[in-house]
Amino acid sequence: MPSKKVIETKKLSRIFKNGEIEVHALTDVDMVIEEGEFVAIMGASGSGKSTLLHIIGCLDRPTSGEYNLDDVRVNELDKNKLADVRNQKIGFIFQSYNLLSRTTALENVELPLIYDRTGQFSNTKELAKKALEQVGLADRIYHKTNELSGGQQQRVAIARALVNNPALILADEPTGNLDSKSSIDIADLFVQLNNKGKTIVMITHEPEIAQFAKRMIYLRDGRIISDKIIEDRSTKEFALKELEKPVTP
Amino acid sequence: MKRFLKIFKVAFQSINKNRTRSLLTMLGIIIGVGAVIMTISAGEGATLQVQNQISGLGTNLLMIQTKSEHKAGINVRMGRPIDKKDFDMLQKNSVWMPQLSPLVAIGAQAIGPNGYMSTTVYGVSYDYFYITSREIELGSFFTEEDVKTAKKYCVIGETIREELFPGQDPVGRQIRIDKVPFTVVGLLKEEGTGGMGQDMDDIVVAPYTTIQNRLFGHQRGYNLIMASALSEDHIADAKIEATELLRESHKIKAGDEDDFEITTQIELQEITGNITGILTILLGAVASISLIVGGIGIMNIMLVSVTERTREIGTRLAIGARESDILTQFLIEAIVLSLVGGLLGIVFGIIGNQIIYKATDFFIPTAVYSILIGFGFSALVGVAFGYFPARKAAKLNPIDALRYE
Ligand SMILES: Nc1ncnc2c1ncn2[C@@H]1O[C@H](COP(=O)(O)OP(=O)(O)OP(=O)(O)O)[C@@H](O)[C@H]1O
Ligand SMILES: [Mg+2]
Repeated sequence: MPSKKVIETKKLSRIFKNGEIEVHALTDVDMVIEEGEFVAIMGASGSGKSTLLHIIGCLDRPTSGEYNLDDVRVNELDKNKLADVRNQKIGFIFQSYNLLSRTTALENVELPLIYDRTGQFSNTKELAKKALEQVGLADRIYHKTNELSGGQQQRVAIARALVNNPALILADEPTGNLDSKSSIDIADLFVQLNNKGKTIVMITHEPEIAQFAKRMIYLRDGRIISDKIIEDRSTKEFALKELEKPVTP
Repeated sequence: MKRFLKIFKVAFQSINKNRTRSLLTMLGIIIGVGAVIMTISAGEGATLQVQNQISGLGTNLLMIQTKSEHKAGINVRMGRPIDKKDFDMLQKNSVWMPQLSPLVAIGAQAIGPNGYMSTTVYGVSYDYFYITSREIELGSFFTEEDVKTAKKYCVIGETIREELFPGQDPVGRQIRIDKVPFTVVGLLKEEGTGGMGQDMDDIVVAPYTTIQNRLFGHQRGYNLIMASALSEDHIADAKIEATELLRESHKIKAGDEDDFEITTQIELQEITGNITGILTILLGAVASISLIVGGIGIMNIMLVSVTERTREIGTRLAIGARESDILTQFLIEAIVLSLVGGLLGIVFGIIGNQIIYKATDFFIPTAVYSILIGFGFSALVGVAFGYFPARKAAKLNPIDALRYE
């Protein structure tokens, strides 16, 4: 079965200019990600992981190079079209959640539906509730974001990324601020979503979380230095068992 | 339309969620609008009051007096005093001045049964009441006949009554003015404070003949002659006529200066108009300062929240809001806050005016244009500082807005 390309980048570069200093955050990144993949991106701090994900997520634009999303040339889209792409095709999960403060979980999750222009979502509250149930927060929907733990806030952010039923989910260190147990829960949630057909790209520092993915891309100094299929994928049960093992001296 | 309603809801939620910020913003607007309304209205009130009192003097008024010059800060009479000869001549020949009255004024002690006070006694003829359009509250004016026969009658103002006959009807009672007994025949209707701040009711009016005979003991010049022109349109004619008649009778050669001065009501109004104009400008300056203070308050609140709001904008952009969605939301927020704050400010200003009125008896009409100025400015500040930072943020890449510090 020939798979469809969801993400295709050609010679993608991103240079940050700070006065005289130029930072080459990404250099000539060629990458293809197909429908249904679950990719983990790894690399040292400052290697350009977030920069790459922001460009893929249409939150930032490359300095040069090409980016096609679902065969659409993103470079040629204007601001409004980009906003619509973010709204309809992408669910982005930030390391720092980026939820609205003083706002309930439900209202946060409902937000992408408010900006929907296709008119395909009729009962936004119901959909938001379903998304929250999906991440296991059915009993917290009316809590304000500041009344939730870090793991719960991240689940709200994930629910928000899921609510408009996007084909592509992008997550920037979704478990970065969480304890090991919560991290494994989130990783398992991604596996379930992937099993339902979502394409997922996830940045992570933790090898045991990356091990949940199907494919691993390794970045160094803004270039891809390795790209391989993960043979022995981790599962929730395995990871939890590993967790209980005594630390070897 | 449905989108707009959704964004409208978002804007309202945002106002509600950030109650402190919303209230502080509105406070700035309330203070700005309220202060502008109160200060401008106070200026207007003062102007109105002065104008009322001047026109209360009789709008067609002319005052003829000896020429005086300011010398070392005091008025020095330059010509011969205006006197009975001038008065009789004017009364005989004037076409444009149907009412004429001499006026002799003397500061004197008025003594009644229950007290005494220093006041100014005006000696006038019957026409005075017509010229100054003063009305009677109790009793009556003295008559033409009373003037001719120099009756010891007088009409008093409310301030005098309060002092000399507290809580009593003064008509028919006796008062002494510099030892001369007068019968009070009438009480003048209250008029309050005059254009120059004087008490219009601190006054005793008596026939000028009586004042001259009894208080001066001899005939001498008048302080001035008061006249009223036939109508407002004929004030200028009356002034020219009086000038010509007096120059002729004073035998002033062509080219020589007048030895008298004629002031008309209109000129008086212009002078006080200037004074109150300055007052209004002054209060306007105070108002501008309160506007600026209010404006800075609004600006501060808005600027302090820029970081938080820029991140919020970044979040909204990241999940697919368009720039126009953000702008609509922030515009609605700014307009709602300015509108509600502005309305509360108007209420605050009007109530403030009422309180001042109650406390000081100084009536302040709330000037409509002060509402417009205050409201307009505050709305401008509110919208400018609410909307423009948001516009700047909405133009950013979502990721730059999210990173904003
Ligand atoms: N807005 C910016 N302005 C200037 N330089 C930037 C900006 N964003 C990123 N950089 C630089 O680009 C490089 C890559 O940054 P990036 O955030 O993509 O790294 P990362 O791999 O996500 O690191 P981490 O694991 O710490 O999140 C870094 O050297 C960083 O300093
Ligand atoms: Mg990063």
